[in-house]
Amino acid sequence: MISRKPHIIGKPFPLIEAQRKLTGRSCYAGDEKPRSGQLYARILFSERPHARFQLHHVEAARSAPGVAALLTGQDLATRLGAQVEDRELLATAEVLYVGQPLAVVAAETPEAAEAALARIQVTYEDLPAVFDIEEALQGRVQVHPHWATYRGTDALQGDPRRNLAHTLRFRRGEPEDAMARAHVVVEHAYTTAPLHHAPLETHGAVAHRRGDQIVMWVHTQAPFLQRAVIARALKLPLNQVRLIGQCVGGSFGGKVHVSIEGLLAAIAREVDRPVRLHLTREEEFSATFITPAMRARIRMAADAQGRLVALQAVYDWNVGASVDLFLHQLESVLLAGTGPYVIPNVSIEVNAIYTHLPPAAPMRGLSLAHVHWAVEQHMDELAERVGMSPVDFRLWNLVKGGDKLFPHFVMHATGLESCAWETTKAIDWHPEAIPTGPNAMTGQGMALGWSPILIMPGCKNRVTIQCDGEDLCTVIVDGMDVGQGYYAFITQLIAFELNIPVEWISVLPTDTDAYEPEWQAVYQNLLWSTGRALLRATQELKRQVLSYVSEMWEEPVTNLDIVEGDIISYATRRRMSFRELLERGSGQGAPLVFRATGEYAASTDGGALDQRLQAFAATGYAAEVTVNMKTGHFVITQLAGAVDVGHALNPEGVRAQLKGGLVQGISTTVLEKMEFEDGRPISTDFMHYPIATTADLPRKLYPVVVEVPQSTGPYGARDVSNHVIIGAAAAIGNAIYRATGVRIRDLPITAQKVYDALQRAEKGQAP
Amino acid sequence: MKHAISFILNQEEIQLTVDSHRTLLDVLRDDLGLTGAKQGCDTGECGACSVLLNGVVVNACMVLAPEADGAEILTVEGLADEEELHPLQRSFIDHHGVQCGYCAPGMLIAAKALLNRTSRPHEEEIREALVGNLCRCGAYPDIIKSIQVASRARR
Amino acid sequence: MHTFDYIRLHSLEEVAQHLAQGPGVRLMGGGNVLLLAIRRGEEAPQKVLDVKTIPELRDVRYHHNQGLKLGAAVPLQHLATGLEVRRHYPLLYQTAQKLASPQVRNRATIGGTLAWASPVSELAAPMLCYDTVCYLWSPRGRRDVPLHAFYLGDFRTVLMEDELITHVHLPPPPQRSHGVYLRQTVRHDGRRMIAATAVWAMRKQQNLTRWRIAVLGVDDRPKRIPEAEAALEGNPHPEDIQRALEIVQAHIHPQDVIYARADYRRVVLNALLQQGIHQVIHQLQSMRS
Repeated sequence: MISRKPHIIGKPFPLIEAQRKLTGRSCYAGDEKPRSGQLYARILFSERPHARFQLHHVEAARSAPGVAALLTGQDLATRLGAQVEDRELLATAEVLYVGQPLAVVAAETPEAAEAALARIQVTYEDLPAVFDIEEALQGRVQVHPHWATYRGTDALQGDPRRNLAHTLRFRRGEPEDAMARAHVVVEHAYTTAPLHHAPLETHGAVAHRRGDQIVMWVHTQAPFLQRAVIARALKLPLNQVRLIGQCVGGSFGGKVHVSIEGLLAAIAREVDRPVRLHLTREEEFSATFITPAMRARIRMAADAQGRLVALQAVYDWNVGASVDLFLHQLESVLLAGTGPYVIPNVSIEVNAIYTHLPPAAPMRGLSLAHVHWAVEQHMDELAERVGMSPVDFRLWNLVKGGDKLFPHFVMHATGLESCAWETTKAIDWHPEAIPTGPNAMTGQGMALGWSPILIMPGCKNRVTIQCDGEDLCTVIVDGMDVGQGYYAFITQLIAFELNIPVEWISVLPTDTDAYEPEWQAVYQNLLWSTGRALLRATQELKRQVLSYVSEMWEEPVTNLDIVEGDIISYATRRRMSFRELLERGSGQGAPLVFRATGEYAASTDGGALDQRLQAFAATGYAAEVTVNMKTGHFVITQLAGAVDVGHALNPEGVRAQLKGGLVQGISTTVLEKMEFEDGRPISTDFMHYPIATTADLPRKLYPVVVEVPQSTGPYGARDVSNHVIIGAAAAIGNAIYRATGVRIRDLPITAQKVYDALQRAEKGQAP
Repeated sequence: MKHAISFILNQEEIQLTVDSHRTLLDVLRDDLGLTGAKQGCDTGECGACSVLLNGVVVNACMVLAPEADGAEILTVEGLADEEELHPLQRSFIDHHGVQCGYCAPGMLIAAKALLNRTSRPHEEEIREALVGNLCRCGAYPDIIKSIQVASRARR
Repeated sequence: MHTFDYIRLHSLEEVAQHLAQGPGVRLMGGGNVLLLAIRRGEEAPQKVLDVKTIPELRDVRYHHNQGLKLGAAVPLQHLATGLEVRRHYPLLYQTAQKLASPQVRNRATIGGTLAWASPVSELAAPMLCYDTVCYLWSPRGRRDVPLHAFYLGDFRTVLMEDELITHVHLPPPPQRSHGVYLRQTVRHDGRRMIAATAVWAMRKQQNLTRWRIAVLGVDDRPKRIPEAEAALEGNPHPEDIQRALEIVQAHIHPQDVIYARADYRRVVLNALLQQGIHQVIHQLQSMRS
């Protein structure tokens, strides 16, 4: 009796790189062995938020000892952007934010590079700068007066005179009328602070022009996207730029888009020696990207039975000097902007507003965390006004499978309800505040959330599997493992599908030369699209192998299978090792090679947003806090977070992602804020940008895995990493309210804000 | 100013000449090619460059290279015994104590320092021992678990 | 980075010789503060003198009649692990557990930490409660300065150009005493202090006496508030405690920082102090007489 090996799907599976990472052998930015003849690049950054500037003594810098090349905006005037080219590679005449690159140099040593840049004197003629979105919208100062001339702006709904970069709108029913007739209407504004991805590994890369190709070893999340942007900026054909992905020490979205990589490619083009660049911590904070602050203005209405009848929401994002990297997020915000509820009358407006802050880039699921920070606190308040419990009110209005949410999108089966039950159960839900000490009150709060899995237009994913005698099974992918377990997932699935030992499989470094130049790979929600591509590749590969053996054994293919690394015939019981077959070759000394590629692209018939929408990941959270009523000091005592992952292919891996997301959720809810002083970042180290430590963990942290299979996902699975953070802030905010009776509507939640709100409440002022 | 220094690094004697102002981290990474200790902040805030200096955990970015003269140093590269992984490393693999992995070498060293002085630490002690090691992925719960399991497995 | 000469010293005489050569010379203990300042370009010494290698600065001596004498180059970690600290100076021991991180405690020295004179120096709080005296040394001789008189505010101290701390001395601890250290920080590892306080007292028959109140984060230096201590002398009643709290408020000058307003720091200190005083009273009163 031949049985299929108990499958490794749904079983523990460690991270592929774990052993290398834990023995110090992984190659992160700055870890590359110096290459022969290597040069070191440094960048000169703007110190003013908005100014006309001039560089003096550039020639002196160029001729400084050890300098191999130096570029300024005068030498290379070009623009950068994936969809909208609203950034300059090197500033040419005006700077638009502090930290904008002015010059890049390559020299024999880092010290020589520094010394050369020190020779450049920058004179600024300051211009009025605007940092606040309200002020920006008044349009007295324009961040991008020549906006309309940038490539890509024609596809945007913007108004450069008001610094409006882009607007998205969604409307259903008659929200104004419904509001007027509603039983209860609640209206508030919610705000958040700018954040930083703050990966422990700062940005770095090595570039080397070899002939007419610039080869780059990068530590980024999206080599294909970056290759396209860099090539266009340098006006090179795509095949003249090659990016090879290396180990990434944390990205969270901060290493998706081109930051220093474009400058490095430009300076490497000038020389024929390898050039290395590695940012300092201060540069990482002050000269890469920030995650934008949000302001949400929400009006929500319910009828006397507690049914939501209308929502009017405006989400404004302060995207700094560039919207390009954030455009995709705006679409997600539009789709998720109601929260996971059925509301018949809706109007949502999503605005991106330019200011003189550093360019914006999304961070993990945080834009959606901020949307839910608003919606889910609002839901709690509305529940109270209609006299329902937070749980009942949400369940009563929840989106369910079969709901037609958008013209082209019908909701699939979802675990939203389980997320609510499981998380509240985990913290032993009690809806009332409890005194837990002198001056101490303990309260609990919950939140639900959802997050669209949305494929960017024109993007695909591809997996190529090759089986041969030399390397057994090599895999070429176009996504990057940034610690979320992508390579483990690939390995696990191939081992399962081909039924071969895990040890045979090696995933090659992601290399843009592996696919044709125009390839645009998806870089987020990878499980979804890569998983689908992978299944196509394994099916094709298996077909090839079995047809080959079928000819050799003169047996019909339908008799054959691969089982635990052996090729077997169910009919004749014949069996041979697949490995031996590969190693033996085809006879006549020629190697035997099987190779198959699978591809997945979202439906491209029509680029409408809801046609690119694949699914909604469902999430749920429950938090408990204890608050000192005299000082506002609070401690998060419990936090539970659930994601409906469809099917947990690697359960411990999923739980690890969940726990990490919850910790990041706490960190971004109570600690983090990028501080600026007149546009100049002052949060430039971990002292001034505190992130959570082990001391900030709650006593009890519950990762909850919910599995309502997704019929269209690989094995019924959905992604997890981006979604785990979504409701943490809202649940904590709701718990603070439950404990104290005051509501904090501005992130981060600090003890001082809670104290201030308690004081206002005591004086009878509006909280 | 140049200093001819010698120290024991991962049980091997090292002799070299260093400038006064360079840090132990510079020397490990640039001169000796040991890049296991990471450069995360250069301000002693993140712990990614943690090494054992005479048996206690320090941030190598905050130690001057000449201070290492005569010292015994252990980096993550010296943790495994030949081919055999250290129980901590094994446990980090088994319990998902590593995500992006940039903090992992420092975490392992901080954990080793803890186990050197407390054979079976309880959760609170582990938390306290790791406050100087930042993990942006938020993998702390699994890191703590990895250390706890490893310490229990030891004789 | 700025270049300098690193020199290991082995005696106080060597310190004197180098210091006599004029400015551009800096002493280094753990280096946590100095190296950062150099990296940021705030300091550019020509010579960095490592005093950790001076044997007498590594002294740790305890005698039940004389108390505890600690060399200035003893690392802070010793205070979090030393048996004599744990047994006889529990407030210092408990506070030391919370200081920064193991990495920092293993390097930072007692002398260096005190000489830095940060207004949020957590080491100072228990040391002030234990009436710590600093031994200062220069070629001109030795002088003893009580820690509470050591600070001049805004990171300044009474140390002269050619002077260093060689030891700190903690008098023998009285029997039947108790102290607590309480802090509120934005990050729970101690980063971004809003306010902190150490409260200490001893019991003599039925009286609670020799009160010590040290406060951090609410003035330009770590400081004791002797006037408030006096108000608690004896067996403080609620109104005495209230008066002590008011006196403290009258003697502090908190500053706004980016993460906390001055008025909020007052509120927090008040709450911590109230809690601390009650805990000390409760502990001392529950001790058997």
